[in-house]
Order: sequence, then C-alpha cells, then structure tokens
Amino acid sequence: MAHAAQVGLQDATSPIMEELITFHDHALMIIFLISFLVLYALFLTLTTKLTNTNISDAQEMETVWTILPAIILVLIALPSLRILYMTDEVNDPSLTIKSIGHQWYWTYEYTDYGGLIFNSYMLPPLFLEPGDLRLLDVDNRVVLPIEAPIRMMITSQDVLHSWAVPTLGLKTDAIPGRLNQTTFTATRPGVYYGQCSEICGANHSFMPIVLELIPLKIFEMGPVFTL
Amino acid sequence: MAAPPEPGEPEERKLLGFLDVENTPCARHSILYGSLGSVVAGFGHFLFTSRIRRSCDVGVGGFILVTLGCWFHCRYNYAKQRIQERIAREEIKKKILYEGTHLDPERKHNGSSSN
Repeated sequence: MAHAAQVGLQDATSPIMEELITFHDHALMIIFLISFLVLYALFLTLTTKLTNTNISDAQEMETVWTILPAIILVLIALPSLRILYMTDEVNDPSLTIKSIGHQWYWTYEYTDYGGLIFNSYMLPPLFLEPGDLRLLDVDNRVVLPIEAPIRMMITSQDVLHSWAVPTLGLKTDAIPGRLNQTTFTATRPGVYYGQCSEICGANHSFMPIVLELIPLKIFEMGPVFTL
Repeated sequence: MAAPPEPGEPEERKLLGFLDVENTPCARHSILYGSLGSVVAGFGHFLFTSRIRRSCDVGVGGFILVTLGCWFHCRYNYAKQRIQERIAREEIKKKILYEGTHLDPERKHNGSSSN
C-alpha cells in the first residue's frame, strides 16, 4: 500500500508493473531534461539586454525545433507501445475471477471450481482491530495464488466503478452491461490494496479492494477450494 | 522503493524535492556525470573563448547531452542485465525441477555436445 505523502509509484508485484515503472523512469528523465532546457531558455529571455526588432525568419532553428521533438516523441512512444501490446498478450489463465461493482461494495465470484460468491465491504472504523488500516481493510479479501496467470472479469450492477490495484499495474472500468477483462500474474505474496477509481456516489472513497496473494500450494489446500 | 523510511534509517533525500535519484536505477549516475560534463564543457569553453554567456549555453547543452547519453547507455545495460537475470532464474528453476529426468537441461546440452 502507499505510505503517507507518497508521490512515487508503489513497488511492483507483477512483471507488467515492473515494465511500467521502467517506462515511467525513462519518460521522467526526458521530461526533466526538457523542463531544464525550457527553464534555462526562459531565464535567458528574461535577462538578455539584446533586442532585435528585425528578425523575419530563422529557418535552421525552426527545422531543429520541429525535428528534435519528433525524435523525442518516437523515443517515448516505442517503449510505451511495447508495454501496451505486452498487456494484451494472449496467455492461458489458470483461474478466472469475476468482480462486480455495486454501490458501495464489490462482489467476487470464484466459479471455476464451484460457486463461491461473496461480498467485500470496507470495515467501518468502529469494527477495526489494532493493526487494521482505516478506510482500506475489508471484511472479505480476495485470496489468489502467486505465479499463476489470473483472469479478472469486471463489471458493475449499477453505476460506473473501476477496479484498481496500483501495485499490480491494474485499473479496469466496471461498466454496467459490459464485461471487461484484465489478466495479471503476481510475483510475490502479500496483502495489496486498491480503491475504486471511478466516481460512483457518496461512498465512492469507501469501497476498497484488498488482494491476499498466497503461494499456490497453500491456495490449493485452503478453504477457497472446499465448497 | 515505495516503503517509508524505518526509524533507524537515514531520511531519503530527493533532488529538487521530488526527483528520487537514489532509488531510480541509473538516475544518480547519469545526473552526476551530466553535472561533471556540464562543468567541464562550460569551463573549458570559457577558458578558450572568455565568453561567459556562450560558455553557460555550452554548459547547459553539455549537461543535457551527457545526462541523456549516460542515461540511455546505463538503462540499456540494465535492461540487458534484467533479461539475463530472468533467464538465469528460469534455468535454475528448470534445473531444480527436472534434475535427473529426461528433461534435465544439462543432459540435453551434454547429449548434443557429445554428438
């Protein structure tokens, strides 16, 4: 989860998020250098004593400041498109989970090996145990295995919601009447938090998502499979 | 990278308050070399020409070019290293899983080299 006043991205828990962090670092360095150049140009403009009212054209400069940004954009676009296609790669998910958004809770369905369906409500502050996270912890977490490709089918029963888990690099809109699909493979166990990311009413901020990622052997032994 | 600093650990410092050069791979290395390149280029230009403003321009240009060059070079090597680490991890897993069986990668490799 994010810590207080965190500005940067959370640590990656999936290969796609690792790639996204790498791309973010790459784009940020380019942006930093461009901003530095623009700031310097602004400083020069404000402090120069030179004035020339007769400039009519500057063909070479205009050529440079057209071609150079085009090259920079290509340098940013190529890794971006690579990651975009990587997220849509066809793999063979081991497990399919359905996530249905409601006002203001999530319903999860594990229907591959039976009919496990449960709701996931945020824990009200009065019901928190010591160590629980306020406005983030839920009564029933989504328990999933690591190192197995998982397919999430996301939809909504009422208004628009969005199922987001930043550490996995996931954010998928839950749209009534539509099934959206996203796949991911988690690389390390732990408890990971997300929040609804599409305004959906009064309690939009109070319908978090909590994933509990456990080793596959323990997932196979656990109560999720005994129905 | 995203964890808050523990009580015993030194506070993390960010360049200009928001650029996390400590935890971003290659960032610190690129900015340091860029700064050095900027000083060398700008000061060197000034020594030869005694033109202050133009030397500042050369310094800024040097910073941008050297930082960018170091950054791409370092990130390319970092990406190669990550790929090699991933391949090594997969091979170690395969070796542990298939050791002694007909799928043992070492047996296949020895078999093909003896042929």
